Amino acid sequence: MGDFWFEFVEITQTIGDGLLFGATYALIGIGFTLIFGAMGKLNMTYAAASLAGAYVGLAAFTLVNASALVVFLVSALASGLVGFIVYVACFRFIPIDNHLAALMASIGALFFIDEIIVHATDGSPLTFPAMFDDVMLELGSYGIRGDLLFVFAVCIAGTFGLLYVLYRSRLGLATRAVSQQDVAARLCGIDVHRTNAVTFVLAGLLGGIAGSMTAAAVGVLSPLITVPLTIKGLIVTVIGGLGSIPGAIAAGLLVGGLENVFLYFRGVNERDMYVLLLLFVFLIFRPHGIFGSAIDRD
Amino acid sequence: MSAVRLSTTALASMAVAALIAFAQPVSAADERTVKIAGWGAKSGPLRSFGVNSEAVLKAAVQSINDSGGVKLGDGTVAQMEFTYYDSACNADQAISVARKVESQTEALIGIGPTCSGAAAAMYGIFQKTVDDESDTGLQFPILTDTAIRPGLAKKSQWTFRNVPNEITMYDELFAWLRAQYPDAKTIYGGTETDQAHSKLTFAIVIVPMAKKHGFEWVGGGIEGVTGKVREGYENVLEVSKSSNWLMADTNFSVQARAFKKSGADMMIVSSHPFTTCGMLKEMKRQRIKPKVLVGLTSSSSAETLKGCSAAAEGMYIPTGFAPITDAAAKVAAAAEANGGSADLHSAAAWENAHIIKQVIESTGIMAKPETLNDDRRKIRDGLETLVKVDGLMGDIGRVQDEGESVKPYVFVQADSGTWKVVHDPR
Repeated sequence: MGDFWFEFVEITQTIGDGLLFGATYALIGIGFTLIFGAMGKLNMTYAAASLAGAYVGLAAFTLVNASALVVFLVSALASGLVGFIVYVACFRFIPIDNHLAALMASIGALFFIDEIIVHATDGSPLTFPAMFDDVMLELGSYGIRGDLLFVFAVCIAGTFGLLYVLYRSRLGLATRAVSQQDVAARLCGIDVHRTNAVTFVLAGLLGGIAGSMTAAAVGVLSPLITVPLTIKGLIVTVIGGLGSIPGAIAAGLLVGGLENVFLYFRGVNERDMYVLLLLFVFLIFRPHGIFGSAIDRD
Repeated sequence: MSAVRLSTTALASMAVAALIAFAQPVSAADERTVKIAGWGAKSGPLRSFGVNSEAVLKAAVQSINDSGGVKLGDGTVAQMEFTYYDSACNADQAISVARKVESQTEALIGIGPTCSGAAAAMYGIFQKTVDDESDTGLQFPILTDTAIRPGLAKKSQWTFRNVPNEITMYDELFAWLRAQYPDAKTIYGGTETDQAHSKLTFAIVIVPMAKKHGFEWVGGGIEGVTGKVREGYENVLEVSKSSNWLMADTNFSVQARAFKKSGADMMIVSSHPFTTCGMLKEMKRQRIKPKVLVGLTSSSSAETLKGCSAAAEGMYIPTGFAPITDAAAKVAAAAEANGGSADLHSAAAWENAHIIKQVIESTGIMAKPETLNDDRRKIRDGLETLVKVDGLMGDIGRVQDEGESVKPYVFVQADSGTWKVVHDPR
């Protein structure tokens, strides 16, 4: 009985840790899905831009000893700016129908941003300030990391904020109009390019929070995590359903939780294999993801 | 009269022109240079390794030239020149750079690459046995400074390394820890399994050496691990599968809990700085405090302290470099002046440049384009005959049937943001 209880606690704790860490995946997934929802295109630069924002936030911490809260805000603003630059460089002037060109441009920008970070930091891991880093809530046999709980709360708050903007503001109305039918939106007087640019900035703001939260959760910032975070973000976006914000949250938590379970039972060498298998299962049996609907963009 | 004067002037002009014409080639021939090539990770997440190696190599070449240069076989004194290439941490790029340097440059020898995986692949394209006409592999000497995974250089008789011997270092470290911590009985640990150096050093060196000195893996040891290098290493990786991670991982909660659950007296974190920091920070969060904490050689660098000095506090690592001699302190300062950092990997670039100078001067290298292949062969042969060379921390022995070195080492411990030397067995 003792062994069973111990194992039960271990497994549930493992799942709980994964769910909480999955909040960072969810934040990245939301950014991917927001841009896809608005433009029907994948912005592969998203995770790199998010981490670039986190680096700018870290610079603020290093140069003026800014508080963790200020670091997160600076990260968000910087990432929003990078998001705008990426939009102009990789999407604005590429014909809307040329999906491949935009995709390849954003992949190029991903590695470009990554390499800028590498050259600026020599690739060295840098300590990133965290909020509630030392807080560990203990509930009986369970422990919950305070910083991850904070990330989770930010994820939920960010999502509600985003949903508010999308469904309760003129900007959101314009974004949804452009995503559904950009020609009709244009005929209604909506500036499509401006709306897309604002969407990139919005996604970037969220990405900056995601990047800094991820760095804070690890405690260290390194360009090593750019590509894995991009891949995780894409997996989360597809599993959640392209264009679905609630789907990205659910998928982020799901991937985070299952990743830990696979690690616990099968070890690190097989962990990612099962996560990718999960992606294939969704692509075959539920290609629209958890909450996605059939792609109806004209 | 005027005609005579004209012809005299013309003759004088011709004589001067002839002198200039003949003097220039002679002068150019006298100003020969000894070219060497370095390569390592100058891009990608391991860029700091290449930056550090290049900074130290630059300082070494500068110091050689400042002290007069290199004496060639005909008595001419030549300046040393180096070019540093980016091979990232990538086998294809390392191979490509090696081929390019061998075929398109006049470099006499190469120094690099950074990563063990890249080195293992790159060494494979070199001629395995000298004078084997059936083998068309590269015939170009290499003296590696960074890639440290045990046993790589014996792949080719053209490849040599000047890297610390991890087997000896961990053997001695655990012997020393045995004496320092007589109450410590059990060990547990993890490694980043997608990095050949971290993984293999953990499985074939660290755990067996710990066993050799009486430390048992928690739960009664690991089948097949007898205390000899390599024995039972597959089982080491199997028993630690839930406590291992990958180099780009960001979540270490499961692994840290496995460490905690083990309750081991000694814990081993065998990885490079980024994940070492991630793992140590998670261990700190979960309040894991082993009696002894041991790290991988590659983490005894400034990167680890930049990333997580507080979490790393108390960690022991054996290293082949510490600024504890005048020469080592001078190199550390020179590397910093060149925008890098001298550590157990990069400091070897200094030693390598001086070893190359020594070999060139003892083997009569001419450093002329027409003697390039002969010069490369002479340097290889010269490297092979070395028994002992001067190092920054003392004499470096050579194990020439394997192309490897036996370097002096010390044990360092993370202490208030610095690496403090806690034991010096030299």
